[in-house]
Amino acid sequence: MDFKIIPSTCSYCGTGCGVLFQVMDGRLIDTLPMKTHPVNEGKLCIKGWNLHEHVISDKRLKSPMIRKDGELQESTWDEAIQTSADKFKSIINDHGPDSVGVLLSAKITNEENYVAQKFARAVIGTNNVDHCARL
Amino acid sequence: MQEQVREWLEQDSVDIFLGYKMVQGHPLPHCFTKENIDEIDDLIVGNARYSLEKMATKIAAAHPELKIGLLTRDCNQRALNVLYVWNQLKPDNIETISVNCCPSKLKEHGDCSYLEPEKAAPLKMMIGIDNNMDVKAAEEFGQEDRYKRWMYELQKCLKCYGCRDICPVCFCKECSLEHTDLIATGSVPPEVPIFHLVRAVHMGGRCIDCGLCEDACPVDIPLRLLYRKVNGIVSDVFDYKTGTSADQSPFNMLGEEVTLELKPI
Ligand code: SF4
Ligand code: SF4
Ligand code: SF4
Ligand code: SF4
Repeated sequence: MDFKIIPSTCSYCGTGCGVLFQVMDGRLIDTLPMKTHPVNEGKLCIKGWNLHEHVISDKRLKSPMIRKDGELQESTWDEAIQTSADKFKSIINDHGPDSVGVLLSAKITNEENYVAQKFARAVIGTNNVDHCARL
Repeated sequence: MQEQVREWLEQDSVDIFLGYKMVQGHPLPHCFTKENIDEIDDLIVGNARYSLEKMATKIAAAHPELKIGLLTRDCNQRALNVLYVWNQLKPDNIETISVNCCPSKLKEHGDCSYLEPEKAAPLKMMIGIDNNMDVKAAEEFGQEDRYKRWMYELQKCLKCYGCRDICPVCFCKECSLEHTDLIATGSVPPEVPIFHLVRAVHMGGRCIDCGLCEDACPVDIPLRLLYRKVNGIVSDVFDYKTGTSADQSPFNMLGEEVTLELKPI
């Protein structure tokens, strides 16, 4: 029998509520609000309360999927990244860099958001950058 | 306290002990075991309270024979009594160490986080219900005013289910609050007041007034007051004191056989 409480941060939105994961016998079983966390002071919204569900869900994707012959098929990260890069290149060649837009997320960190906008501006060559917090 | 827990674990009187430990500057619940016996030096009471008994209930559901020790404040102890009565935990498998709880005139020091209730803001005082009121004071508003005040409070609900999820005595496999025939889905706020009243009725004979639900409510609804009212009725009508009475709650319908008699309609 193994029971652990793991402090973490909710990944569902930019608020960043403190959560505690309850892990029993290596399996994530439940989420609790961290009572002493300065951001949420022991409260969560419904998404935070159910964080464990997407981790243990049967529907969770564990590898990238590529649509081939009209059907989604499991693939490797190398292949998925290469396919995306090739597609982006051909779109940019045909229609110019402003045909691409990059929508950033509150679910990733500040630094990851920075890297993503840098990728849009420096690699793709567009200022079409927006964030889900503005929707 | 640390010595007692060490002895229990070493002598196998308990298999695990649920207490608190400082982690990254936060007092967090922690499961102490014989394998990591040195961690006992870090065992603290902690000034934030969590429902250790709810964790024990989950652990016991997966490992029914495990002997579990835990740190108990007064509220944890009352919750344990309810969990015994409802057959969620076996008293023989539970050992407790009681710690000092809320301060009062008789004892000044307390380890509890519920020491000073927050003061209600002026708007809440004017059109809502102050969470610090007692049942009697809340009943002094005229009927119409009272209804408006409660509806103001209840319509703030975000339907986070936090009040249920954190509650030590909410252990049902299927919860009525998610039953589409009882409460319509797909809107926030949920159907008020039915969402809260369904839960309030279920708390009759169960709620031990720990206040964890109110602590967890993001919109500060005076839930504890609502459940106090319900349990006041349970106490007056059935003479049943939730959390301290050792016998089954008057609302438990499970048993060996049906004892209700059919009556003509
Ligand atoms: S619990 Fe809700 S509000 Fe808090 S970070 Fe998660 S999604 Fe955002
Ligand atoms: S709200 Fe009612 S049905 Fe839901 S878990 Fe609590 S007692 Fe059970
Ligand atoms: S006060 Fe709230 S959390 Fe505590 S037992 Fe009652 S309903 Fe459950
Ligand atoms: S904790 Fe408060 S906001 Fe959340 S469901 Fe319960 S009453 Fe509604």
